[in-house]
Amino acid sequence: MSKRTISLLLVGGLALAACGTNPGVGGTGTAAKHGDKLTVAVGIDPDTLDPAAQTTTTAQQIVDMMAEPLVTIGPDGNPAPLLATTWTNSSDGLSYSFTLRSGVKFSDGTDFNAAAVKFSIDRLLSPTTFKAQKGVLGVIGQVVVVDPTHVKFSLSKQFPAFVAAMTQTVAAIISPASVNVAPNTPAQIQQPVGTGPYKFGERQAGDHITMVRNPNYWGTKPNYDTQVYKVVPEATSREALVKSGQADVIMLPPANDLPALGQDPSLKVIMSPSDRTVQMVIDTVDPVNTNLQKKEVREALNYAVDKDAIIKKVMFGAAVPLNGPMSSSLAGSCDVGSNYNYDVNKAKQMLSSNGAAGMKVRLISPTGRYVQDFQVAQAVAGYLRDAGLQVEGPATSDWPSYVAGIVLASPEKQSQKADIHLLGWAPAYLDASQQFEQFYSPRAAPKGQESSYYKNTQVDGLIEQGNSDPNPTTRNKTYCDAAKIVWSDAPWIFLFNQKLPLVTTSKVTGIVGIPNEKFSTVYASPA
Amino acid sequence: MLTYLARRILLAVPTLLGVASIVFLLVRLLPGDPAAVIAGPQATDVDIERIRHQLDLDQPLWLQYVNFLTRLVQGNLGISTRSGHTVVEEIFTRAPYTIELALIATVVATALGIAMGLLASTRPNSKLDLGISGLAVFGISMPVYWLGLMLIILFSIKFHEWNLGGLPAAGAGDWAGFILPSTTLALFSVGLVARMTRSAMLEVLGQDYVRTARAKGANRRSVLIKHALRNALVPVITAVSLQFGALLGGAVLTETVFSWPGVGRLLVDSIFARDYPVVQGVVLIFAFAFILVNLITDLAYAYVDPRIRY
Repeated sequence: MSKRTISLLLVGGLALAACGTNPGVGGTGTAAKHGDKLTVAVGIDPDTLDPAAQTTTTAQQIVDMMAEPLVTIGPDGNPAPLLATTWTNSSDGLSYSFTLRSGVKFSDGTDFNAAAVKFSIDRLLSPTTFKAQKGVLGVIGQVVVVDPTHVKFSLSKQFPAFVAAMTQTVAAIISPASVNVAPNTPAQIQQPVGTGPYKFGERQAGDHITMVRNPNYWGTKPNYDTQVYKVVPEATSREALVKSGQADVIMLPPANDLPALGQDPSLKVIMSPSDRTVQMVIDTVDPVNTNLQKKEVREALNYAVDKDAIIKKVMFGAAVPLNGPMSSSLAGSCDVGSNYNYDVNKAKQMLSSNGAAGMKVRLISPTGRYVQDFQVAQAVAGYLRDAGLQVEGPATSDWPSYVAGIVLASPEKQSQKADIHLLGWAPAYLDASQQFEQFYSPRAAPKGQESSYYKNTQVDGLIEQGNSDPNPTTRNKTYCDAAKIVWSDAPWIFLFNQKLPLVTTSKVTGIVGIPNEKFSTVYASPA
Repeated sequence: MLTYLARRILLAVPTLLGVASIVFLLVRLLPGDPAAVIAGPQATDVDIERIRHQLDLDQPLWLQYVNFLTRLVQGNLGISTRSGHTVVEEIFTRAPYTIELALIATVVATALGIAMGLLASTRPNSKLDLGISGLAVFGISMPVYWLGLMLIILFSIKFHEWNLGGLPAAGAGDWAGFILPSTTLALFSVGLVARMTRSAMLEVLGQDYVRTARAKGANRRSVLIKHALRNALVPVITAVSLQFGALLGGAVLTETVFSWPGVGRLLVDSIFARDYPVVQGVVLIFAFAFILVNLITDLAYAYVDPRIRY
């Protein structure tokens, strides 16, 4: 059984629950009980609750409770029915037809139908929708209402991952009538009205969002009458809330407290799966430190860093090692069959034979963007020093400066600041094509966020081939071939696949992690 | 008095305009692109450009500045690039929480601080004075971040473990939610006010008119409160008003530790999101609040010290 299968089985309960066919207690085997209020403390205040404008997973999972897309992530990691029951694609791969679930109503009492699907997707694609994040769904050329329960999407080019991409929150279907009800406007939705198990209750910006159970939900009814998502930016404050019983669930406690929290009998620690890889991205065209342009030197850097020790000592177990350049939960991922086991002597020897012994490298890392990010960069710096390198840093900066100065910077600008930078990358849906955005040279910064400027024409060709191959078997093989080359070329120091630590009180059960760095409290239940 | 008021209000206009212009330029000097932050990691350069256009960030700087000033004169602070709400709406949603917290902390700190300072000044260099001064130094020196967490550990976590209920550790729910953040804020100000009151009182208590008051047989209470304290209040009022002005600007650390949805956190979140209109709006409101508090303080001087006339 592959790692992907195992990790996806763990989340299977959620998808079944979301399909409305499961009692929805997250696979705990415990019978669901009724509860009045569930309090969840999250670290981010959603910028917007408009499904079309979602970029942050924490905000997305809140919106997911109120508005549903046509398809969701299934137990096997593949798209599973939600508001659509079946779908087919044309032989040329340029159109997809969905059959919609009948008898479903939005939480405002209006009917869910093909016209609502067209309205929602057209709105996502519209340039007048505030901050709309169509992303890869920009491939949709036209949405055609065939009849009230059938809708057809015409694509401008082949996109085999189209149905997987439709699992994203941005593709959620909203009530067309709701956009004209204040405070919503067609350009911007503040209170989403969808078909989800919960509906919007109230919101105090910066403090909390309350959702109440949708009595007319078409699927399995949730157990809690209301769910309150409290905005608590400080990890230590979130920890205090769950320890004092003022929150039932928290995300991202202070990582160094994970061992102690795990031993507290009144609490449960859940290491929720995530598709986020965390890596030290190497500037592969670095004009200052030309040694980094050599594949062997980059490989040596991979051997120089003890990833297992970092996972254990710095991440406190909130990560798993990588067996390829992406999370094993992505469709199209594979075990590349080789690894960069820690071997400082080998690293030294490779550096020396490539004239890079004692070379100077500058490191930079964000702080607080990912779990223990800066601490991980500090550990990496230590290992590189052990390998004889002169390491400057890690330096740090706030996220907007980091994005502009490093992640989205042109090679000249990035090389003025750093040679190696820490970055996390979490595909929005579980498909290898999303991870390959990081290795596809036309997406090199500043056009995209491929911030290593890695370019291998063979890899580019394989990615393009995989991206347009409708046959899943050959597509996966193509991606696997590309992954093996990327791994060998080492544009990154491959670190780990991060997990999303959650803590609940022992009085709550049914919290389920989803591999795209979300977790679902929809079918939480008193223990 | 009215002429003085009118002059002060008129003087506030160029001050606010100066603040507006400086903050407009400063936020744009920060590295980082708001459109790239909004667009998120999966965005293409085309997506980023579209958002930049939606936010008018593709216009020349001078035109953005002219538009900003034009809207400002009309009382329009713009639209938050983060939330899409008007900046006025953003600020007015958060301001009540900040004002309530600042008021409670200031009232508690002023009452306690003046009482402690007064008490300490009656027996200078005694054990009581040393104790009060020690407490005051403790209050001023403790980082609010650390103090807030200690209070949370004791009154939220430990009280919960001891089955004593426990106070809310985060958020602005009911009245109980005010206790820990306002105590944290007040402890700093108590120390400041107590030290100011003590030193001002010691100076005043050595004045001739206090000796005269005692000589004419005025009782101790009357000498301390009526003759000495009132004269010692001018520097204390200055300290309190400056503190209150600062708290109105949002006690960022306290608001963060206690997840308080105030203006301070709004400002910090907006800076990190490069939400230019909100940063500009909040700083302008801060400046306005300071000007207002200073004006009220100056008027209060005249009330406590009849020699001061405008």
